[in-house]
Amino acid sequence: MLSINLLYDWERFHAHYCVNIEPGMTTLLGASGEGKSTLLHLLGGFLEGRGGLFFNEKSLLSLPAYERPISTLFQSDNLFPQLTVWQNVAIGLSPSLSLSSEQKIRVQWALEKTQLVDKAKRFPQALSGGQAQRVAIARALVRKKPILLLDEPFSALDPSLREEMLHLVNEVTMEFGLTTLLVSHLPYEASLVGGRVILIEQGRIAAHEPVSVLSQLDPHPLFLNYLGLSRVGA
Amino acid sequence: MSFRAIKTLLPALLGVGFFLLMGAASLSALFRYSEPHSWFGFLQQPYLWRVVRFSLWQALLSSGLSLLLAIPVASCLIHRQFYGRAALLQLFSVSMVVPTIVAILGLVVVYGRAGWFNQLFGVQVPLYGLTGILLAHVFFNMPLAVRLLLQGYDLIPSGQWRQASQLGFSRLAAFRWIEWHYMKKVLPGAFVLIFMLCFSSFAVVLSLGGGPKFSTLEVAIYQALRFDFDLNKASFLALLQVFICTFFAAIVYRIAPVNRQDVSVLRATSYLLKDSLWARFVDFVALGCAFVLVIPPFLAIFEPIFSPLFLDTLLSPALWRAVLVSLQIAIPAALISLLLGVCFSVLARFCVARRYVASLPNKIEHLGNMILMVPGLVIATGLFLTLREVGWGLESSYWVVVWVNAVMALPFVLRALMPVMYQQERRFRNVYLSLGVQAWSRWQLEWPLIRKGVAQAFGYALLLSLGDMGVIALFGSQGLVSLPLYLFQLIGAYRLEEGSCVAVVLITLCLLLFYCATRFIGGRSLAEH
Repeated sequence: MLSINLLYDWERFHAHYCVNIEPGMTTLLGASGEGKSTLLHLLGGFLEGRGGLFFNEKSLLSLPAYERPISTLFQSDNLFPQLTVWQNVAIGLSPSLSLSSEQKIRVQWALEKTQLVDKAKRFPQALSGGQAQRVAIARALVRKKPILLLDEPFSALDPSLREEMLHLVNEVTMEFGLTTLLVSHLPYEASLVGGRVILIEQGRIAAHEPVSVLSQLDPHPLFLNYLGLSRVGA
Repeated sequence: MSFRAIKTLLPALLGVGFFLLMGAASLSALFRYSEPHSWFGFLQQPYLWRVVRFSLWQALLSSGLSLLLAIPVASCLIHRQFYGRAALLQLFSVSMVVPTIVAILGLVVVYGRAGWFNQLFGVQVPLYGLTGILLAHVFFNMPLAVRLLLQGYDLIPSGQWRQASQLGFSRLAAFRWIEWHYMKKVLPGAFVLIFMLCFSSFAVVLSLGGGPKFSTLEVAIYQALRFDFDLNKASFLALLQVFICTFFAAIVYRIAPVNRQDVSVLRATSYLLKDSLWARFVDFVALGCAFVLVIPPFLAIFEPIFSPLFLDTLLSPALWRAVLVSLQIAIPAALISLLLGVCFSVLARFCVARRYVASLPNKIEHLGNMILMVPGLVIATGLFLTLREVGWGLESSYWVVVWVNAVMALPFVLRALMPVMYQQERRFRNVYLSLGVQAWSRWQLEWPLIRKGVAQAFGYALLLSLGDMGVIALFGSQGLVSLPLYLFQLIGAYRLEEGSCVAVVLITLCLLLFYCATRFIGGRSLAEH
């Protein structure tokens, strides 16, 4: 279980996230600027927060990003344009790219899992947006980290491709028992991947409910305002 | 191109046109006085080939050493935050433009026969000859190389560092997979720039060469003009220098990878990479070398402050006459250089986003940099001859010195100006187009964003002109003795102690003016790089 009790201050933004997250899919919802990405950056170790952060009772807060049991996929810049697809995946196992034969098999497995075997020698510039994000997922797979953070990595894709990616993430999460946190602006994405939803408002966890809360005819009062806004926005 | 666009660009076109006209007039005047049929005879002279060989050799060694040292120093400065880092970067930016003759004096105090190095370690550095030339060139160009490489680091998207941090890259892995990829795009340009600066080095070779054995083409041109007034030989040597530089630049640019990465408009955030003892050791050694090379000569320059002779020197009227002459040359030269730089930048950025002239920006920049290939002494002589033909006599010397100083500083002005100007164009071009913002109103909007670049450009031009020891050595006369020339004359007359005191005045003047330029034009906080 991922136990979060984190505080973070930046100019006039004061965040305090307090929540326990079980393995499986969890979608972070909330309007722009409410602090969804900030939470992911704090978890990933890219921002320095105060308080407590535990995974299976082991403290993560003092660990640098590379020592946390976490893989993060960002909206952009997930791949190194100067490396091939194979290298981009393999670098998740060994930054020097000197892989054992077992590790090479693992890279091959991840490429197969993400249907990228025929693109292994290509550079990211030669891939479509969906393929590029699949490379990033393949790297997350080889790293075998139990927590997967997704900071809107599919927002630039067209709807059908986005759905395809979300299904892939869901499948991987279930198969490997990951704790996956997905940041999204769209409630329908949360419904698509299932699991639970967290509503973030002004740097705080406003609600933490099963995803079914979104499809109720009479939604949870805390989600009502957010859903109303998002419908108007759509 | 529409008539309206041409009208808007007219001042810039006039500026670049005037630059070209002066260059053409100067070179054509020189060639009118030369006899190309006799040039074959020069090629038979073994002395010439020795000079060419040595010019190439010392330039290759100097640029290679400067870059070799600059790579780990730049990497260390990117990854480590330490007390004095900002001051070191400022020192690097000043050491690039510190008057040559002053730096030479500093090097003599540190590495000379009775210098600090000999007193401390009992080892005498053979300062007069290749070693001295290399030391001086690395002193000037290693900081320049570091700053150029740091500009290359700015091209690395922040996201790559974030990934490196997440994946647990060591410093070596980060260098191998990220830094080197961007560095190799910057290195060829940096190499060509430093190579040309060293190849056409004048004051360093004249002062530390120690005789004809270690002479470069630029010094040979000076000798041909100053002692023999042999315009024919000078034109031949100038042409040879231009040819070698062009040939060299063409080869390097041909094998260099193309740099298509845009400079990020966001300030890069630093992410933590895996540290190791080995990485710390390499950083320590690299930074140690940089400190030892750059800082002692700087400190040595200020040593005479405690000498009783310092006050006497300050009271000398000749010193203040020289200060006045230096200011009379440097301020107009810096203004002209900045004006030319703005003209070049405005033209180049106009072409950046227009497909039909998209290949022009690089060419415009190269045109401004071409001055590095043509010896300043040759342009000055050609210009002097042109002005003599139109009826100006010796009184034109002042304007010749001002103009040549302005154009010699142009490559540095362009380096400081172009990136910020391009950045504004890329960020706001569509907004400007849709709102019809152009010319003066555009300048008003952009001024807060580009003023630091403008200040740096002006500061560099000011310092380079203030420390010039090339053209002034040729045209300096009784009434036109600048501070560097006055200092050179004192050293030549073996009045070293007095010379050291003058060097303090010169460097203080440089620092003061650089500070004023960056503070008053650039605003409160000039960026570190």
